[in-house]
Amino acid sequence: MLSRVADSLYWMGRYLERAENITRLLLVTEDFSTETQGLAEDLAQTAWKDMLAIFPSAQLSREVAQFAPLSMPYLHAFFIDGSNPYSIHFSLRRARENARSVREALTLEVFLALNEVFRSLEAYERKGMMDLPAFRDALGATRKGIFTVVGAIEHTSTRDEGWRFLKLGESLERSLRSALVLRAKLPALLAAEARGDAPLYYTQWRSLLRGLSSLENYRRVYGARLEPNLVIGFLLFDPDSPRSLRYGASIVRDYLAAISGPAALTAPARIVGKLHADLRYDDEALMSRGDFADLLDRVVAELAKAHDAIATQYFVT
Amino acid sequence: MKWVPETRAFDEAFDKTGAPRQHYRPLVSILESFTQDEIERRERLQKLSLIDQGITFTVYGEKEGTERIFPFDFVPRVIPAREWERLQAGLVQRVTALNLFILDVYQGQKCLKDRVIPPELVLSRKEYKRELLNVIPPRQIFTHVVGTDVIRNDKGEYLVLEDNCRCPSGVSYVLENRNTLNRVFPEFFKYYGVRPIKDYPNLLLDTLLHAAQRSSEKPVVVILTPGMANSAYFEHSFLAREMGIALVEGRDLIVEDNYVYMRTTSGKQKVDVIYRRIDDDFLDPLTFRRDSMLGVPGLVNVYREGNVALANAPGAGVADDKSVYAFMPALIRYYLGEDALLPQVPTYVGLRPQDFAYIRDHARELVVKTTGDSGGYGMLMGPFASKREIETYVGQMKKNPGNYIAQPLIELSSHPTYTEGKFEPRRVDLRPFILYGESVRVLPGGLTRVALRPGSYVVNSSQGGGSKDTWVLASKDGA
Repeated sequence: MLSRVADSLYWMGRYLERAENITRLLLVTEDFSTETQGLAEDLAQTAWKDMLAIFPSAQLSREVAQFAPLSMPYLHAFFIDGSNPYSIHFSLRRARENARSVREALTLEVFLALNEVFRSLEAYERKGMMDLPAFRDALGATRKGIFTVVGAIEHTSTRDEGWRFLKLGESLERSLRSALVLRAKLPALLAAEARGDAPLYYTQWRSLLRGLSSLENYRRVYGARLEPNLVIGFLLFDPDSPRSLRYGASIVRDYLAAISGPAALTAPARIVGKLHADLRYDDEALMSRGDFADLLDRVVAELAKAHDAIATQYFVT
Repeated sequence: MKWVPETRAFDEAFDKTGAPRQHYRPLVSILESFTQDEIERRERLQKLSLIDQGITFTVYGEKEGTERIFPFDFVPRVIPAREWERLQAGLVQRVTALNLFILDVYQGQKCLKDRVIPPELVLSRKEYKRELLNVIPPRQIFTHVVGTDVIRNDKGEYLVLEDNCRCPSGVSYVLENRNTLNRVFPEFFKYYGVRPIKDYPNLLLDTLLHAAQRSSEKPVVVILTPGMANSAYFEHSFLAREMGIALVEGRDLIVEDNYVYMRTTSGKQKVDVIYRRIDDDFLDPLTFRRDSMLGVPGLVNVYREGNVALANAPGAGVADDKSVYAFMPALIRYYLGEDALLPQVPTYVGLRPQDFAYIRDHARELVVKTTGDSGGYGMLMGPFASKREIETYVGQMKKNPGNYIAQPLIELSSHPTYTEGKFEPRRVDLRPFILYGESVRVLPGGLTRVALRPGSYVVNSSQGGGSKDTWVLASKDGA
């Protein structure tokens, strides 16, 4: 297929996935911050600041009004501020622009669904968001809208090369963002220990799992008990959870193989294959060493390298 | 339900007594059976469906990338079978002659030697491409896709207004309008045998495959678009999807060893036919405009070698020039030995001194157009212009008389159109689409454009026009 079209589909997949990630993290962080701000305001503050580490070049666009809830400037910046390169508005606009430039490669259903969710986002931007419940409501609706797009892709797309590039973008973005979430939260959480206030401590672990859509999946494997080591092991090495790093790397690897054919070994396939092997076969050593900051730095770096290699291999010809 | 009668022009739907014409009777009674609320509800549905589907065009000169929906009026235009047959025969004849004319201009120039048309008129046009003299496309077809604009005068006669032999657009709206109407007013179709048009993408693909060199076994056909910012981008993408072929931009194509390739994820792939929706001038910076960023360097040379087919062939624009138009009846007689089946609008050609003097002195009664522009840009509507506007325009004309033509103002026919709760008459034209492949075929339908402003004569989408579904009725005896 055309390199330009593959490139656009890959980025459409990345931006869609990114938008869903931002939506979910905003909802979870908002919950956490409402729950904790009266008990430990610093924790609520930190949770919001983590957003800036997960989306490194994001910018807060508004001054914080004195009596407004802590969440407001973050919600505004990450939801409807079109000039913040890591807002939902920005990501969905880019996803739609990419879709529009390759409309002939998508099904009508996919384009309609994407158009619709973007248009309702524009309506929120026009109307403005009055208060937290309004934000929650709009975020929930937007998340549903994104799932409609993803569902339309799943149900109507033919599984051709274009679809594989879209899914490749989606899966790479998912792994990268999960690694960044863990990188931002894990070290601080491990350093904190159960500092006297056990319920608050566990609220943070629960919130981490929810931020990665993994709370229910974790419970299915280990039950309701939140054991930090089990949570870490689950988020890094679980073989089936869609947001564990190991599973993510295996999916990226699979799409790369489907694109190049199983026999060919391309530069991006080498990078991701090695990363996957580490996560797959070195899990025990990595767990016992416990230097998760170093591990997560490496995962982020390798995925960034994989992205560059994909661009060189397929998009620049 | 209120119907406002037309007072000046030919009314497509009602006769002079105000009674519906026979082929509009069922439609009028169906619409009268609806309550105002029902009609409004349906209209809302229809607008929503256009926005959701992103059926848009881009308006130039406004904020960059402004997307608008092309307004659609749900009252369909109905053309009886017999009327269509005459129109179709006239269009086939005309496109056949147009193609023969272009072939002649680029090989032999007999019509110029025989003075059927003044040579300087043809050879001075910028659409005449001297570089392509004696370059003849496969099967001698230049005009694979033609959109000829037709209007009706105050007597209801069909007249050709202009030919579009380069990249006529609008066919996607023809197809989408039918879809929309099917969905929003299914009742309409119960009482009418409307000829289907959904086969157009197949016919177009056949036409494009026919343009390929015989040596290609399984020719690769692509559409070349200037890109997302182009006003007709929706259509380019629509046709690519409907035909199942790649939509490429100039930067996706490269020329090597006198073949054209597209850049794909698995390397370069050869291209055999390019349905280009990009003007000659931008096609190849090595041959035409050097500053073009849209085209493909070296493309014209590949075409010249016969290694790629371009539809329409470069240089075809010489035939849709507005001053060449004035000579079409003579050219039809010259090439086919027949009189033109479709009449056209009397035209004064600025190049002829006596015509120019007439235009200058009667600008107030005439519609004056520049020969190179389209889309309703650069024209003077004499009867509606102020004295100053006319003076300025005539001043401009004197600098380059050959660049202008003028025609009397034709009272375009009007058609009931739903505006703000009433059915009011609005002026319409018609663009049928003609495909030149193994034979010359006309899509049974076309784009009816409607001037949405009351009294306006300008139907162009860029100037506040909308469109209607256009029905060609199947004849009852099956003939």
